[in-house]
Amino acid sequence: MASNRDLMPRESLLWIFAAQFVALLPQLSQLPLWIAFAWAFAVYWRLEVFRGRRDLPGRALKLLVIALTVAGLAQSYQRWFALEPMVALLALSFTLKNLELLSRRDAFVSLLLAYFVAATLFVREQSIPYALYGLISALVITAALAAQLGSFSARPRRALGLSLRLMAQATPLMLLLFVVMPRLGPLWNVPQDTSAGRTGVSDSMAPGDFTRLSKSDKPALRISFDGPIPPPEQRYWRGLVYSEFDGRTWRQGVGVDPRNGGQVYWSSGERALPQIGPRFRYQVIQEASRSPWLFALARPASDSPGVGETVDDRLVKRTPVYSRFAYEVRSWPRDSQTIPLPLNSAERRRNLQLPADGNQRTREWVGRLRRRGLGAEEISSQLLALYNREFTYTLSPPALGSDSVDEFLFDSQKGFCEHFAGSYVFAMRAAGVPARVVAGYQGGEWVNGEKYLLVREYDAHAWAEIWLDGRGWQRVDPTAAVSPERVRDGLETAAGEEFMQDSLLPLHRFDVLVKLRLQWDMINYRWYQTVVSFDSEKQRDTLQRLLGDLSPMRMALFFGSPVAVVLLGIFLWTHLTGRGRKRPVVERLYAVFCKRMARAGITRRPGEAPRDFAGRIAERKPQLAEFARRVTDAFERAAYGGDKEALMELRRLLRWHLRLFLKVPINKSQLAGH
Amino acid sequence: MSVNRDFPWQASNTGSTASKSSRNFFRGLSERWLSRRAPRSRDITLNHSRLFILPTRAGLGYLLVTALLWLLATNYENNLVFALTFLLISVFVILPVHTFANLSGLRLQLIGTEDTFAGDFAEAQINLSRADKRQREWIQICWPPEEGAYVDLCEESLADFRIALPALQRGRIQAPRLRVESRFPLGLFRCWSRIDLDVEFLVYPRPLAAGPLPLGEAMVEGTSGQVRRGGDDYASLKPYQPGDSLRHLAWKQYAAGRDLYSKEYESRTDTRLWLDWELLDGRDVEARLSNLCYWVLQAEKQNIAYGLRIPGTTLPPSLGAEHQHRVLAALALFPRWGG
Repeated sequence: MASNRDLMPRESLLWIFAAQFVALLPQLSQLPLWIAFAWAFAVYWRLEVFRGRRDLPGRALKLLVIALTVAGLAQSYQRWFALEPMVALLALSFTLKNLELLSRRDAFVSLLLAYFVAATLFVREQSIPYALYGLISALVITAALAAQLGSFSARPRRALGLSLRLMAQATPLMLLLFVVMPRLGPLWNVPQDTSAGRTGVSDSMAPGDFTRLSKSDKPALRISFDGPIPPPEQRYWRGLVYSEFDGRTWRQGVGVDPRNGGQVYWSSGERALPQIGPRFRYQVIQEASRSPWLFALARPASDSPGVGETVDDRLVKRTPVYSRFAYEVRSWPRDSQTIPLPLNSAERRRNLQLPADGNQRTREWVGRLRRRGLGAEEISSQLLALYNREFTYTLSPPALGSDSVDEFLFDSQKGFCEHFAGSYVFAMRAAGVPARVVAGYQGGEWVNGEKYLLVREYDAHAWAEIWLDGRGWQRVDPTAAVSPERVRDGLETAAGEEFMQDSLLPLHRFDVLVKLRLQWDMINYRWYQTVVSFDSEKQRDTLQRLLGDLSPMRMALFFGSPVAVVLLGIFLWTHLTGRGRKRPVVERLYAVFCKRMARAGITRRPGEAPRDFAGRIAERKPQLAEFARRVTDAFERAAYGGDKEALMELRRLLRWHLRLFLKVPINKSQLAGH
Repeated sequence: MSVNRDFPWQASNTGSTASKSSRNFFRGLSERWLSRRAPRSRDITLNHSRLFILPTRAGLGYLLVTALLWLLATNYENNLVFALTFLLISVFVILPVHTFANLSGLRLQLIGTEDTFAGDFAEAQINLSRADKRQREWIQICWPPEEGAYVDLCEESLADFRIALPALQRGRIQAPRLRVESRFPLGLFRCWSRIDLDVEFLVYPRPLAAGPLPLGEAMVEGTSGQVRRGGDDYASLKPYQPGDSLRHLAWKQYAAGRDLYSKEYESRTDTRLWLDWELLDGRDVEARLSNLCYWVLQAEKQNIAYGLRIPGTTLPPSLGAEHQHRVLAALALFPRWGG
């Protein structure tokens, strides 16, 4: 049974509930709803117990509740070994702990669990608001810990103030640890959060897919350049290549999709690089997309770990991008490359594949062009001219039927990138020219303050590549034929009134807000660059910047000096506070005398008057009587009369006696006394 | 102040239990070390040489959580979890300073002790004060395993409190070292000091009912007691009244030319209350002392003057708090059988 002081006062109880609430709140959207209800019910029950209206649940009831929660968890989660069930389990364990929250020990367990639950929030997202919220959680949980000590500490201002003070004092050390503590890299493969839907460019392209993206202004990529920056018309960030068409949807197809037989070179050395140097060097920071596609300019190579290169000149990540991911890329534009090898037959077949039937009008139209003896490039320019003459770029095209290419090319003639790219590749393939649809992002907004290119979801784009013998894959953007602004100035200009039409708040219409958003993005970018993506490489760079080179001597100085400063501070502090009231010289001298007497076998009793002590010494050791008398005399005169002479004499006496003691061994004098 | 220092022979009798515990070598060793490091005094200021500090079990649990968080951060390569982990570790690192500061500089003074009866609690009055401006919270002062007192020094700079020690045996009890402990601010560290405030209690024997007061059972020469008229002792003269015994006429005064007086006599059988060792023949020493103690309390309650006669000590009958204390002290300090 817990002793009385271990029982929980009301304030402490409320603090625990507050800490749990703070830790749980941001998780609620992810957790099954019943957990929230279970928590609220447990809190209600515990408060009823506090009011004396109810008893804590008995053992049978507790077992039942545990069985129910386990069943509930099994019902809610199929996979056990993943982050979400773990968070749910932690949340449930402190929920259940509430039902037996009795002693200080229970409170500690509950609050330590709360720390952990609060931390799992960061696994979901590492943005600035989340970081701030996490800090607040830590503050509240620490305050709740402090509040467990007594009712004075449990006062809200006191507890929070104390917690804030502790955190503030801990911050310098935390920063130091953050910078210098080695990052080991994952010790084992961890389950990732897979709940949220995929965003960004998807695995396949069906009519309407890009409309969804055009409605989102969320950042997708942030690209900073080391050296030259590609002009706007060259900013084609390739992510996916669609080679397979089933009459309606474009897919990557077998042999191209890295997850389905496509070949990936996981280290850049495996594939021969062009002889000349790369034209662009840049770093891409990609937002979580929950798919493995990375985005880069044509013919990329990357040395970042976990990044591979496909045969069709794209970058992929070994595991899906579950959280922001940064990678370094070098790119060689196609025109800088040497003459490529001819397309092998499998590639050729794949890039000429068309459904057996359907879209007859297009096939016939292309057939007429071919019969006129036009080459690949002429057919392409005919098609582009057609787009340019007759077509309208719009974000809200009419719905298309089963022969979507026919209807688009000859009836509606209204659409946007996916329609143009799809119909173009269809037509080129029908003309016997190997062609493929490429999806990714095009363009981006230049952020001057931080010197990076901000690419948003609405920059998602689809274009085409055709194979020209002797020249290799060439990029063709049919959309540019209709709406050059789309390529040059981005979607906002091209779509005009249609841009972000359906968004709830047309924030992009307000200049100030647009600027503020850009500012906010800059802060985010900074945050990501300095904090979130701080890895062992950046750590080494930072240390190198701070220390010059990483010689053991410098490292020792760097780590040792703060420790030394702290230790010195503590030492000085304890000495200054520990001997706060310094005893007067007289008393210290007398203490020396007492110590010597103790060594000689006569200890001064607490509170014994000096005169009595001298008397006792005279009684037990007559040979010391004279000395003791003179010391006591001098002490009394110095201490109570303020006699300077006496002080000097006391000093002299003690010095003289020391010499005497050196001549007479202590144990001998002790023997004499007994 | 009720501590009496006039009984030096009792010192060995009731000395601190630890110094005698030869069976627990290490304990003795640590006590000796402590007594050198933190010597006995009635006025002690806590400083770094007297304070010890270690993490509590909750502190170890906290470390375990930081270790788990570090694993989480490492495996998910999550810098914010790293940051939180390091923040928690840093808090843990600076905590001992706060815990230490909560006790350091505190001054404890023994104000006094109260005598008690064996089987009861002996209380010491202690004053806790601080010279600086730092607030102190949640300081526990106790004789383990007793609960002791919890004291805060927040707005006020000094506090008086009492702490109790169960008194099991009569005699002069040297209290063991006091433990002054604090787990402020988060309960993750325990800072403590074991100080010897030189607390001594005089513990009277446990009162054991021994029947009614032994009134008139002891007959002793003395100057007080119940007076009966017509005894053997001359008391005074009074004017002669017819009927007075001729034997009692004061002839001497009459011969000197004064009136006829009659001498008045009283019997002086000593009926004063003596609480006598011999009255309780046949019981063992402790039982006798306990019974005597009981009688003392009864006599004091009934307002009957009483005296004490035990081997080695005789205290003449009297009444009052002073007298009671003397009598009870004599009982408390009666040498132990065989000791």
